[in-house]
Amino acid sequence: MKKKIVDCVGKGITILTSTLAVALMAVMLIHIASESIPAFRELGIEMFRLETEWRPVSNNPQYGLMPAITGTLYTSALAVVFSLILGIGCAFFLNFYVADKLAKVLLSFIDLVAGIPSVIFGFIGLTVLVKWFAAHFRMAAGQCVLAAGIVLGVMLLPFVVSTCSESIGQARRQYELSALALGFSKEILCVKIILPAIRPGIIAAAMMAFGRGLGETMAVMMVIGNSPIYPSLLGRGQTIPALTALEMGSIEYGSMHLSVLYAVNVVLLVILAVVMAGGYLLKRRADKHEE
Amino acid sequence: MKNNMGKYVVRLICLLLGLLTIGVTLFLFLFVFWKGKNVISLSFLLDDPSGMPIGTDGGIFPALMGSIYLGALSAIIGGIIGIGVAAYLAFYSPCGRFHNVVKGALFGLSGIPSILFGLVGYTLLIYQFGMSRSLICAAITVAAMIVPFVAIRAKKIFDEKGIEYMRNSESLGLSKEYALWRLILPACLPELLSTIALGMAYGMGAVAPILYTGAVMQAKVPEKLTDPFMSLPYHLYMLVSNGFSLEYAYGTAFVLMAFLLCIQLLCKLISYFREGAQWSLKR
Repeated sequence: MKKKIVDCVGKGITILTSTLAVALMAVMLIHIASESIPAFRELGIEMFRLETEWRPVSNNPQYGLMPAITGTLYTSALAVVFSLILGIGCAFFLNFYVADKLAKVLLSFIDLVAGIPSVIFGFIGLTVLVKWFAAHFRMAAGQCVLAAGIVLGVMLLPFVVSTCSESIGQARRQYELSALALGFSKEILCVKIILPAIRPGIIAAAMMAFGRGLGETMAVMMVIGNSPIYPSLLGRGQTIPALTALEMGSIEYGSMHLSVLYAVNVVLLVILAVVMAGGYLLKRRADKHEE
Repeated sequence: MKNNMGKYVVRLICLLLGLLTIGVTLFLFLFVFWKGKNVISLSFLLDDPSGMPIGTDGGIFPALMGSIYLGALSAIIGGIIGIGVAAYLAFYSPCGRFHNVVKGALFGLSGIPSILFGLVGYTLLIYQFGMSRSLICAAITVAAMIVPFVAIRAKKIFDEKGIEYMRNSESLGLSKEYALWRLILPACLPELLSTIALGMAYGMGAVAPILYTGAVMQAKVPEKLTDPFMSLPYHLYMLVSNGFSLEYAYGTAFVLMAFLLCIQLLCKLISYFREGAQWSLKR
């Protein structure tokens, strides 16, 4: 009898925690959706017109979301380009030109970067990169979209390096011996055989990295300058998470301004869901292909 | 001849990109440690912040303790829920509709940006439930962020090691609970603990969720759950963004990074030594 109760309690705890997790997700989604309803109902398509500006506190408030949305996509895309160039090169370097044991050590060293909190990235970006931009490009303050892209790119590096070197390892096991037996050099093997073979994996990794970049808050917020204008490489910009973090503390609860903030985050979540789902499907296809 | 050129170009590019990546990584660590080492002293670690504006003199003791409290509290809440979810997914319902719902919720939660936890925590807990900006409020928000982090990794651990135990003990007629409590949890304990510790490090470093839910610029070491608190990353952010004191910002960054790195290295060591003792192949 006593044993039965213990069994039930054990099972009950796990079911309870699982229900909690599901409830948590439901609360997040429902809360975000319901708070954004006033904005969608009253402003609707007005928010997404290209020429509407972001002037939430003026007498005649305008809530144009496009600058922040394009800024988010632009910054994250920039970051993915940087991290892919560096990451793929580094993965090849570690796989082919470094002794296995050293490569393992270096890989886990690069992995440590993933554990650095984003506020430290923002801090280093501000004190090193932004200062450098200010000194060399005759800019007033040096905060710009390019700086945010570079900082974010470095943050994404560990993820890109580890996924790329994993797929390189798989492709290598498959093709290396036959390629070398045919008399190809290591370089031809890299560029002509392995690079095409891991392309689906790289695209999947790029999408996932893009999704991670979209949601990054602190590091981007500290170096991008936070002006609600359309992004240009050396100009200031604004991203959705940064906008949210900057403005949510000073808004009255129940105001249209807050509702618009929720609406822009609904947009962010939709973009995220599409990107992540795309990345996931591509990755699954790539994995199947390799098997 | 041309072929040879191509060879060297490829080699050069790989070398360059590889060295650049490793260089950037090294730079991140060396920069913070080099700049921060002059600020660090016992009084910096153990004094309250002072000066005008606040934070330009004195120490960071309340921020350090606040961060540890926040990390521990949210790791306990998030860790228990996370491991419970993982155990449910791995042992109680290996398939079925609810299994898919729970799994979908986990992946959804892991994809939600941290700032959204902060936003929802802020409006929901503080405005709608009427809580004050406090340690418990921030801990709940951070715990929500840690749950998917812990659960996904814990499920991997259970899948790698637990299934075998479970199958064998079930074939001996033992109940699932007995196997779970007496066999699987003790066998996986170091891995599970290090997963929770990693989750704690992850939660301690985040600023976005605690921005308006509990962290403040100056407070004492929290005594009750309802006290507001100071936190290292928030302190760093305030020092930098308001331009108070760059020197103390380096010091704060040093302490934060050293603390989190210690946790991570410890976890790496644990998994390294445990791996040697087992047949299971990771990576």
